[in-house]
Amino acid sequence: MSLQTDQAIKLSSGYRLQWEDAQQMFVLLYPEGLIELNQSSAEILQLCDAQHKLADIVQTLETKFSTTGLKNDIVSFLTIALDNGWINQSA
Amino acid sequence: MAGSIKAPSPPRWLLAELTYACPLQCPYCSNPLDYANIKDELSTNDWKRVLKQSRDMGAVQLGFSGGEPLVRKDLVELVDYSHGLGYYTNLITSGYNMDKEKIIALKNAGLDHIQISLQASSKELNDFIAGAESFEHKKHVAKLIKKNGYPMVLCVVLHRQNIHQMKEILEMAIELGADFVELANTQYYGWAQHNRDQLLPTHEQLQTAEAIANQYQASQKGKMKIYYVVPDYFEGRPKACMNGWGTTFLTIAPDGLALPCHSARQLPNFDCPNVNEHSISDIWNDSTAFNYFRGDRWMKEPCRSCPEKDKDFGGCHCQAFLLTGDASNADPVCDLSPLHHTVTDAIEQAGQVSQTVEQPLLFRNPKNSKQLKKSP
Ligand code: SF4
Ligand code: SF4
Repeated sequence: MSLQTDQAIKLSSGYRLQWEDAQQMFVLLYPEGLIELNQSSAEILQLCDAQHKLADIVQTLETKFSTTGLKNDIVSFLTIALDNGWINQSA
Repeated sequence: MAGSIKAPSPPRWLLAELTYACPLQCPYCSNPLDYANIKDELSTNDWKRVLKQSRDMGAVQLGFSGGEPLVRKDLVELVDYSHGLGYYTNLITSGYNMDKEKIIALKNAGLDHIQISLQASSKELNDFIAGAESFEHKKHVAKLIKKNGYPMVLCVVLHRQNIHQMKEILEMAIELGADFVELANTQYYGWAQHNRDQLLPTHEQLQTAEAIANQYQASQKGKMKIYYVVPDYFEGRPKACMNGWGTTFLTIAPDGLALPCHSARQLPNFDCPNVNEHSISDIWNDSTAFNYFRGDRWMKEPCRSCPEKDKDFGGCHCQAFLLTGDASNADPVCDLSPLHHTVTDAIEQAGQVSQTVEQPLLFRNPKNSKQLKKSP
């Protein structure tokens, strides 16, 4: 399975992204698992909402942070996320 | 604690052991041997207070376990309340007594996930280990769990009597549509420790099983995630204790005892605080029990000067106590421990037992629990 550019990305079923006040960070929750996310990972995962494709995510974040050249970092994070089953692209 | 200014990291995982009652009798159960004498159970309101206080501190993963949590009449109410607090709620069940109505009621209450355990891949062995006819029903329940849209973890505890079924167990997991499979080699505490000679697998059994697990991990990639938990007895290095004592995990026993690890109540002269007397934040931040093995000040040699001490934190203190009589010793699973032979001897002894007469397994039930308490 590799990242498809023409399909929207979504969190896998059973996975939940949530802001934690006590820790002041986003966490990814799934059956018996918990991942504490740094800011950039959290920004990317928030856009994995079954609406955005890769290019949309890159563009949204580059606009949001008034920068360019984020694509490589985003692709490598999403590839890890896909490999770990946190996100998927099938309908 | 004098001299320490940094507050401990908050609890992230709360394990709510709702009850020690269980209709099954697994001889590897991690519950205390004398569980039948622990009768007091927290009330619904006590649990709500614990859930709220823990959530306020930062706990976000919540496991309802036991015993069998389905025995508690207020389970749906507690799930509903926890969901409202923002927990990710996991139910850890044997599936016994589960039915369609309950699965739906729990779903409506916001339950996020169900872990169901089977004892083996064949009816005969499953029912023998569980001490009750349950195999067909469990499989039926597993299908209902999937049908109702839950992610499902299928858990099978491995030991000498079922580890040869590895392949069949994994095929069964595929058939049942498990999202995750947890193949956990028995950890030797509680009842498992008592039955160790009958449960400890041989080295050859383990190697075969591990090879099969690896093979399925590769072929199921992207479909079903397989966790194979290697038994620490055969490893040479201990498992990291609970991600560090008092750093992440908080267990509350049925009677309200707060435990830094689920076997901590068997440590002698170790006063675990009770939620009936203290708030969760007092327990977590200030109690002697939770501070006891924090950091490395408690360590003796060989751990104290060991370059790996930040990796495994000296291993499991309960195991150190069980095998060496002192919880502050290095976990003897570590081959740097001067008492490592307590582990190799056990492996050898179990190997001999497996070749001679099988001693009967002692099943986990109230009668055996009470009798054990009486005998010295
Ligand atoms: S391990 Fe077996 S006996 Fe122990 S609580 Fe779980 S199902 Fe019950
Ligand atoms: S000596 Fe202690 S700290 Fe070092 S590896 Fe062994 S158990 Fe871990």
